[in-house]
Amino acid sequence: MNETTAMAARHHAASSVWLAPRQQTAFRQLMTAFSYPGRVLPLAGDGESASMLVVATLIDGACSLADPNGELAGDDLRRMGTRTGSVETADFVLASGMRVVDAAPRLGSLENPEQGATIVLAVAGLGTGATLSLQGPGIDGEQLLHVSGVDPAWWTQRAEWNTHFPLGVDFILVSQHAVAALPRTTRITLKGAH
Amino acid sequence: MNPGYELPLDEAGYSFGFLDEYAKREVRRTILKAISIPGYQTPYASREMPMGRGFGTGGLQVTLSLIGEGDTLKVIDQGADDSVNAVNLRHFVELTCPGVDTTERTAEATLIQSRHRIPETPLTEQQVLVLQVPYPDPLVVVEPSEARRKVMHGEGDYSRLLTKLYEDIVQFDEITISHRYPTRINGHYVIDPSPIPRYDVPQLHQNRALVLLGAGREKKIYAVPPYTRAEPLAFDDVPFRTEDFGDEHGQRRACKRCGATDSFLDELIDDDGHKHWQCSDSDYCNSRLTAQSATSAQGATAQEVNA
Ligand SMILES: [Zn+2]
Repeated sequence: MNETTAMAARHHAASSVWLAPRQQTAFRQLMTAFSYPGRVLPLAGDGESASMLVVATLIDGACSLADPNGELAGDDLRRMGTRTGSVETADFVLASGMRVVDAAPRLGSLENPEQGATIVLAVAGLGTGATLSLQGPGIDGEQLLHVSGVDPAWWTQRAEWNTHFPLGVDFILVSQHAVAALPRTTRITLKGAH
Repeated sequence: MNPGYELPLDEAGYSFGFLDEYAKREVRRTILKAISIPGYQTPYASREMPMGRGFGTGGLQVTLSLIGEGDTLKVIDQGADDSVNAVNLRHFVELTCPGVDTTERTAEATLIQSRHRIPETPLTEQQVLVLQVPYPDPLVVVEPSEARRKVMHGEGDYSRLLTKLYEDIVQFDEITISHRYPTRINGHYVIDPSPIPRYDVPQLHQNRALVLLGAGREKKIYAVPPYTRAEPLAFDDVPFRTEDFGDEHGQRRACKRCGATDSFLDELIDDDGHKHWQCSDSDYCNSRLTAQSATSAQGATAQEVNA
């Protein structure tokens, strides 16, 4: 592939996250990830970013987004038409595994637990790294998840936020190309880091 | 269904799946929350569909928000693929979703939209079942205020529903609910599992497939995730029972067509007034008949070889 076609391919991949058929296939992977927590599923293709694909698939003007680390470009935010909010108030929080947020996200209420936030957590790797043992709905017995680039303080925070079911937060873990989900019902036991 | 409807075209002229992309995105966000909070009736803004509510619009909106090229869809109504309602819904998806295949075979489907039955053939992890729901809230019978019902659900407080069920037992000697049996999901929320018979309720328990339930009129979506507990409400002295299809001698009735003694049976009455029973799941019945004729053909061949 020469340089021009490689650039064209990258450009195409970058814009593909906005295409409806691409978002449909991305959503199906996300739905499978939530149905079977802790399973690592391929999501983004060459030149695509899994976190951008998740954000473009789920977020639009009807919901708000907190981006405390300034990961998203202004053009992308405008294209989604989303309202930006603080970590405490937003429907979606885009966060980094290496940097624990310093505020509690929305947990929802007893009457409306769906208003608990969704945290899209960028991690260094899925399928390698520290071992989490998972149990709960969607898991036949036990599921192991290997994840790298996550400050263990995240798991402590998550356990606190999810203490009072049905209140809680739901996590989407994204590496460069893969995705795994941890809905609020998933119980995590740390099995020691590598 | 109104045959004169027009498909909405967005700026790009993209009209796959009838719903606009904003509507799909809302349903998709709702589905992820519904899976995350098993059994919780997650609210969403239901869109107008070119057919009356009550014709499976809730299920259809879920299906249209999921479906894509490469999917194979099965639509069933009371176990049959050929009822008017199932045919209409299947036709609507064929019209609005080019590249989607349809099938009557449970095993071939990636997506199954159903009203009143769960297929007899066990579902797999590669399948999603969408059930159409007319009345999503099992607490309506004991509490008219939705605000109060939402608190009761949140607290997992079903004492008044249990009392009501127990009164039924005292009066009728058994739990008289034939359909929509209140079922507790993952030990917290109690759902109306849609008008499936009691017979189908155990299928929800630890199923391998995701089950999504859509109520268009009430604008609610809820889920029974895979590998999740689904427990029909019951009492120590009156356990939950499914229909047993026993005859007057206690013998399990068989399907008149395929001979099955392990399926949910519909009672039919011939022209001369005789009762007989037949599988309600037409694909299950047909598959058994096909397998039987293949076996008997094989048997015939083997005999010829032996001769
Ligand atoms: Zn039969």
